[in-house]
Amino acid sequence: MAAYLTSRIASLVPILFGTSLVSFFLIRLVPGDPAVALLGLEADERAIAALRAQLALDQPLVVQYLTWLGRVLSGDFGRSVQGGREVLPLLVGALGPTAQLSFAAAIVSLVIAIPAGIVAATRRDTAVDYGASFAALCGLSMPSFWLGILLILAFSVHLPWLPASGYVPPLSDPLGFISHLVLPALTLGAALAAATMRMTRSAMLEVLRSDYVRTARAKGIPGRLVVWRHAFRNARIPVVTLLGIQFGQLLGGVVITETVFSWPGIGKLTVDAIFARDYAVVQGAVLLTATIFVLINLATDLVYTVLDPRVRLA
Amino acid sequence: MNAPATALAEAPVSARRWRATLLGRPRAAMGVLLVGLACLCAIAGPFLWPLDPNAPDFAAILSPPGPGHPFGTDDLGRDVLARILNGSSASLLVGLVSVAGALLAGTLIGLVAGYFGGWADTLLMRMMDVIFAFPSILLALAITAVLGPSLGNAVLAIAVVNLPVFARIARAQTLVVGQLDFVEARRALGFGTADILLRTVLPNITAPLIVQGSLLFASAIITESYLSFLGLGVQPPTPTWGNMLRTAISFLDLAPWLAWFPGIAIFVTVLGFNLLGDALRDLFDPREG
Repeated sequence: MAAYLTSRIASLVPILFGTSLVSFFLIRLVPGDPAVALLGLEADERAIAALRAQLALDQPLVVQYLTWLGRVLSGDFGRSVQGGREVLPLLVGALGPTAQLSFAAAIVSLVIAIPAGIVAATRRDTAVDYGASFAALCGLSMPSFWLGILLILAFSVHLPWLPASGYVPPLSDPLGFISHLVLPALTLGAALAAATMRMTRSAMLEVLRSDYVRTARAKGIPGRLVVWRHAFRNARIPVVTLLGIQFGQLLGGVVITETVFSWPGIGKLTVDAIFARDYAVVQGAVLLTATIFVLINLATDLVYTVLDPRVRLA
Repeated sequence: MNAPATALAEAPVSARRWRATLLGRPRAAMGVLLVGLACLCAIAGPFLWPLDPNAPDFAAILSPPGPGHPFGTDDLGRDVLARILNGSSASLLVGLVSVAGALLAGTLIGLVAGYFGGWADTLLMRMMDVIFAFPSILLALAITAVLGPSLGNAVLAIAVVNLPVFARIARAQTLVVGQLDFVEARRALGFGTADILLRTVLPNITAPLIVQGSLLFASAIITESYLSFLGLGVQPPTPTWGNMLRTAISFLDLAPWLAWFPGIAIFVTVLGFNLLGDALRDLFDPREG
């Protein structure tokens, strides 16, 4: 296990190196001087000259990259052009709302997808199965921002039950927080549910065909117990893998959902920064999001080894 | 054409099976129908409904669906149906070019990595891993943000995020096919590497790539709509389904139809490609499904 863990963590090094390179070069792709790009067009000459020196822009690219990497590793992501605030606290502040939204969306999707997938598999080729599978395909085919818009139309415009946008911190007003959370969590959760349901269904079908499930049934174990104790335990493995991948994609989905619902998370921060040409924030957000994404993938692999001991032993 | 007589499971699919799979099953037939409808709108739309999508009619601002404007008008009095028909070509074009580009480049990368192995394999596939290390929408967003919003950059961004998918499939397939006897035979006969890769290996790894392509086409259309919705895709006044929804969000209480129709257009088109992709997968890989 320790050897597996070490090799798995070691494999992160080239990936994280690569993501840092991409984030570094992202700013170099902006036409013109990177110092001007980072400080904005209205910055004065002296500030630009100071930043040029700080970024080592007159040095070779390798030195520039290492200088930048050294600063990032010590927590210095530069300053936002909007108000000159440091980027790191901005990013950290946005992580909370994003984590809350992602977590709520994951719960929404699991509550819908796991039962739906199991029922569809156990009643294969019935109307229930067709209905659930088609609904999942529709969920996959619907751009999430459109679903969000439809939910706003239904529950904020026609039936004024829920706020269409905004955020309230959970500790200051728990009810207000939840009422603001419902629509974005449903929006984000629906797409996730569609993919998870399809995976649960096909994993369950696979397992239900296996010999040991037939043996369990032959022994006279009640159907419900066979499904949950025997079949689902093994069907979880591919589902967890997919969940990990999907949870990572959630980090992409939040960009859109947060923008539609004005949810002040990392996604909205990124989009706002793009429009403000606030490249230091864009760079920091891209690097942070990619790092979290990579770490979630690692966590997925580790959960996988807990669920499936064969991976550990191999 | 060289028809490889091998143990590969991918026997050529007969015309009868094509027909039976694509038209004989309700879901597949629906996919063919929806994709056909979307293509028809993109090609013949302006002739079927010859209103100018960019002509403002200030006497008919935000008018609800009715005679003359079956899908209503927007905040400048432009006809929504004409804009949706016009926008279909942008969506399909971005989807087609970006997926085709990713398919070609990804296949080439996968072929080279799988066939040569060694450091070329490691380097290329590590690069693909790095692209995979970003949530795809975020990476597409970042690329269009730094290069500037335009149709071409949207295509480039979507192609880049899809690259690793094709490269991985092509590599895995090449690893298998490259070991087979007929490839070995070509090598023994003294054919050049390029010849072996393109004329012997490539024809034998295309099926899974095409299946994946049709599924990624669906997601490329969604990604394009995300970019346009955020204002980073094709720029107004040229209509796209995404930028129409961007407008719609300001008028949800006054003109909800602005939000319905472009969304339905995206949904129906993407659903069509997903259904078609599932059908193609069944066709080429009967084990799944």
